[in-house]
Order: sequence, then C-alpha cells, then structure tokens
Amino acid sequence: MSAITRKLLPMVLLLAIPTILRAQDLKLPPGVEKLAAKAKETVEVNMDGPMLRWASKFLSTEDPDEQKAAKLVANLKGIYVRSFEFSEEGAYSAAEVEALRAQFRSPEWSRVVGVRSERDGDNVDVFFKMENDKMAGIVVIAAEPKELTFVNIVGPLEVDQLADLGGEFGIPKLKTKPPSSKPVAKADKGEQK
Amino acid sequence: MTETNKDPNLLEDALRNAIRREDAPEGFALRVLARADQQNPAHEARTSWLSIFSQPLVRWVAFATVSICLVIGGVHYRNLQRQRIQGEAAKQQLMLALRIAGSKLQLAKSKVNEINQSRPEPQPQNRSPRSRS
Repeated sequence: MSAITRKLLPMVLLLAIPTILRAQDLKLPPGVEKLAAKAKETVEVNMDGPMLRWASKFLSTEDPDEQKAAKLVANLKGIYVRSFEFSEEGAYSAAEVEALRAQFRSPEWSRVVGVRSERDGDNVDVFFKMENDKMAGIVVIAAEPKELTFVNIVGPLEVDQLADLGGEFGIPKLKTKPPSSKPVAKADKGEQK
Repeated sequence: MTETNKDPNLLEDALRNAIRREDAPEGFALRVLARADQQNPAHEARTSWLSIFSQPLVRWVAFATVSICLVIGGVHYRNLQRQRIQGEAAKQQLMLALRIAGSKLQLAKSKVNEINQSRPEPQPQNRSPRSRS
C-alpha cells in the first residue's frame, strides 16, 4: 500500500460513514433499487434529521398542511421513501417484496397491519418500531399491481400525528369498495409474523 | 451752515439720491455666499476630510474596498438565494414524502375498514333459560 493510499484511506472511510449509516436506516434489496430502471415514475426521498430541520424552516406558518407537517417532523430523525410506478403489472416479483418485509421481522418491529388482497392485488404492511413503549419509527410497504412503495419514518411519532398523516395533506380519502368478492386480505394487530 | 441746510429743495434732492434703488453688482450674491461658507468651520472640516482623497493611493484603496464589499455582498446574496431555492426544494421533497406516506397509510386503513365491513357481524346468541323439570 502506497503512502498516499494510506493517508487517503482514513479520509475516504470518514467520508463514507454517513452513507453507511444512512444505508443502515433504509436497507433495500439490490433488486428493488434496480426497479427504478423499469419504473415509469420513481420517487426517491432521503431526508435525515438535519435535513428535515432545515426543510421545515421553509414550511409556511400560514398553510395548514405545512403547519401540520412542521409539527410532525419536529422530532423525526429521518424520512426515506422509494416509490416506483410501472406502466405494466408484474414488474416486480413477490420475492423482492418479501425480502423487504423480512427485514422487519425482528423483535424491535411489530407488524400492526398486514393486508393481502387477491381481488385487487393491493398488499400493504405497516410496521411499528417501539422503544420504551413509545413509537420510534414506522415502515409502510405498499405493493400494488403497478406500484411499489416503501416508506420508512424514523423517530418518535405521536398517535394523533400518525392519524393526521393518514388522512390529511389534501389527499382524498379512499372510498371503501363494496364487499363483493371473498376477502382474502387480513389485518392483524400486533402480530409478529 | 451748508448749502443744503439753507435750501430745502437741495436737501430733498440729496436725500433722494442717497436712497434711490440701485441693483447689486453682478456676482455679488455668490461672492457673499462664498465668503460666508469659507468662514463656516464645518466647511473647513469637510474640505480637510475630503482632501485625503486627493492622494492617488487613498483613492485606489477606497475603490478597492468598495469593490471588495460589493463582491462580498453579491456572493452573500447569491448564497442566500441558492439556500432559499435549495430549502424550497427540500420542503417540496418533505411534503411529497409525507403525502406518499399519508396516502399509503390511508390505503392500509381503507383496506382494514373494507375487511371489517365485509365480515358478517356476529349474531347475538339466544340462550334459552334452562328449565329444570
């Protein structure tokens, strides 16, 4: 190893530490990252704590949505989102989604919602991370026929804030379809699968 | 006794001559103002302060200082503008992330509601009182 390499190596490692730490927050199987090439539309958001603080400084105090957002992100440590929208169905495999879900089958994570719908092919999983009886993070994996979304919110979230997150921000609430076919989906509360 | 004292007409003429209206010579007002200004101590101070710029080195230093200040101010303003643009972009990213998270949680919620609605409500069990014969 040359002298220059020996001098540069610690610096390179030092620079790589934030990337490594960020990668620990959001591990995506390599196949999932490759989906961006197939996707019609890709959304990638990586915001750590300082970035969230900085971005929240630009949130308007007059806009009600932005007020709620500012309140919501005040104590968060990070928000990581990957959303892939495909033009055709079957762009990703069930194994790829399963590999994603498998990362959250650990004692610190609780799957609070797991929906499997054969009728419309919408599969949604919601995992909570609890620390000292307080929510320390939430992960949402939504696998729809033409869309795959992974959301990882790191940090304490209050339940009411979470409710706000679910039905606010100008998103029209989804209408519940009439129960026609045999429901295959299941919702399990607090079940660790 | 003078001639004028003797003759009232002569006295009157002399007085008329003495008080007749006469225009000031050309440039009189300017000369008066210039004289007054020269006697003003503030003017002296101002001229002495400005006199330092008569030296070429001082003029160059002043010019360089003003130029540097303008450049620093411009760079600072540009940085602020850039920060504002980056901040707005970060805000948009944050709102997008929250909107996606919200919509997916809403999807999960609606699916759970759908399942709950599709399940048949449990029938209340009619327990007939046991009769002992």
